[in-house]
Amino acid sequence: MNAMANPSEIPVGCPMHQAGARFQPFEHQGMTDFYASVRPEVPIFYAPSIDCWVVTRREDALAVLRDHERFSASNATAPIVPWPQEMHQFLQDQHFTNESVQVACDPPRHTRGRNAAVTFLNMKKFQNYEADVRALARSYVDEIRKSREEVIDLVASFTYEYPAKVAFLLLGEKELDARKLKQWADLRIKLIFGKLSHDQQMEAARDLADFWHFATALVDQRKKHPGDDYPSALLAARGDDDSVLTENEVKSLVFGLLLAAHETTTNAAGNLLFELLKRPQTWQAIVDDQTLIPNAVEEGLRYATSTIAWRRRAKVDVEIAGVQLPQGSQVLLSLTSANRDEKQFADGEIFDIGRSNARSHIAFGNGIHHCLGAPLARMELRILLEELTSAFPKMKLVEEETISFLPTLSFRGPDRLPVRLNG
Amino acid sequence: MPKLIFISPDGSKREVTAESGTSVMENAIDNGVEGIVAECGGSMSCGTCHIYLDEETFERLGEPGSAENDLLDFVNSPRRPTSRLSCQLKVDDRFEGAIFFVPESQY
Repeated sequence: MNAMANPSEIPVGCPMHQAGARFQPFEHQGMTDFYASVRPEVPIFYAPSIDCWVVTRREDALAVLRDHERFSASNATAPIVPWPQEMHQFLQDQHFTNESVQVACDPPRHTRGRNAAVTFLNMKKFQNYEADVRALARSYVDEIRKSREEVIDLVASFTYEYPAKVAFLLLGEKELDARKLKQWADLRIKLIFGKLSHDQQMEAARDLADFWHFATALVDQRKKHPGDDYPSALLAARGDDDSVLTENEVKSLVFGLLLAAHETTTNAAGNLLFELLKRPQTWQAIVDDQTLIPNAVEEGLRYATSTIAWRRRAKVDVEIAGVQLPQGSQVLLSLTSANRDEKQFADGEIFDIGRSNARSHIAFGNGIHHCLGAPLARMELRILLEELTSAFPKMKLVEEETISFLPTLSFRGPDRLPVRLNG
Repeated sequence: MPKLIFISPDGSKREVTAESGTSVMENAIDNGVEGIVAECGGSMSCGTCHIYLDEETFERLGEPGSAENDLLDFVNSPRRPTSRLSCQLKVDDRFEGAIFFVPESQY
């Protein structure tokens, strides 16, 4: 194809058109089967319901993620259902001044935020939290034991809150309400990646404002009393110099962490446990040999990717997999599909915790936006499995058929994971 | 085309002929040199392509830029005076016979 691709001119009946017609961006059931069926023939197709070109292969997704010159991240967190004017006005009245600082902005602006954030969000710093994270994981195990229940929901009793509590460690706040943070974050996800009605949007806006006020109050407090925590590190990096970072950018970075530091980790933990517990022999393997856990974590991230798809916008005319796209085109990179691409992963549709290149997945993205929290998420997931396999080696999934997934464009995680603790 | 020498923590040696303009990281990955992870793909975002240079080559190349210098403080294996991020080293004639020591771990 040499001319610019025009969605309305894709011939009906050609594989690209069929893929676009079959694709259900919000439906998780059957999604991996769909991608497996189209990936060999259709590296890219147009999805009319979301006005996006969907990229299915790893090498193309990688090329886009690494090319921040030609592909902008500005649409990465744009609401699927545009926010009404009434909502914008309400947020303005509430002094909601959150701005794009990292995930949805491009250099040079992105570089400012990143340079400051990396002074705290880095491998070395995260290693200092290992003992605290383990103590936290053990506290959930203890609570589960104390409940004396035989059947529990692992999401409600462990993975829902656990990453939020880890986020609180980074914020230097131990006594916060994790449920409240999770509810705020869930709403924010729905506001961006879900399909809400006008009334639901307005209701969510009130919570969004509360959430923002919480982040700004935290930064204001650290200005007076700095500690060894993320907001304080950002303020130190800023050094009262707006040319480095403004105070509003610091607040926006903290607001960003309040979502990024736990939402996807909760999902990744649920997805990983779901895949392991669905396969009793695999669960038994990590019970018998905990050294298998780090690679099992990678295979979980690959096979049951929790950030299933991510958006970019073409800044200029571009070509992806031989298709010419005009400037302004929206691209949806299917990380789920890329992570099962047979060209990189032999028998990619099989969950194999011994897979030698499991870590080559792109669940944490790639390029300049590669997730800064990746080492922390990996640590949380590893410790989660170490503690659960030690405490409940005979754990078994029950009522598997009742587990469902929230319908959003970009995220995937089970709403519940009922297990029988002692087999 | 300069020859690059990679030495693994176990002492094994790998010689690679590198094209000018490619990065040392890319040459390591393309030739299966183990221990260079480069998780972000070469965007100075992850610190997992850390490498130690021989002193002469390090001197020839000059100091790392400020962003690289900052990230080197956070790499997993200890930072040494000749530490660099291999994604930031673009091969040219100054690299002839350069020796790169792969660190024990990247994460």
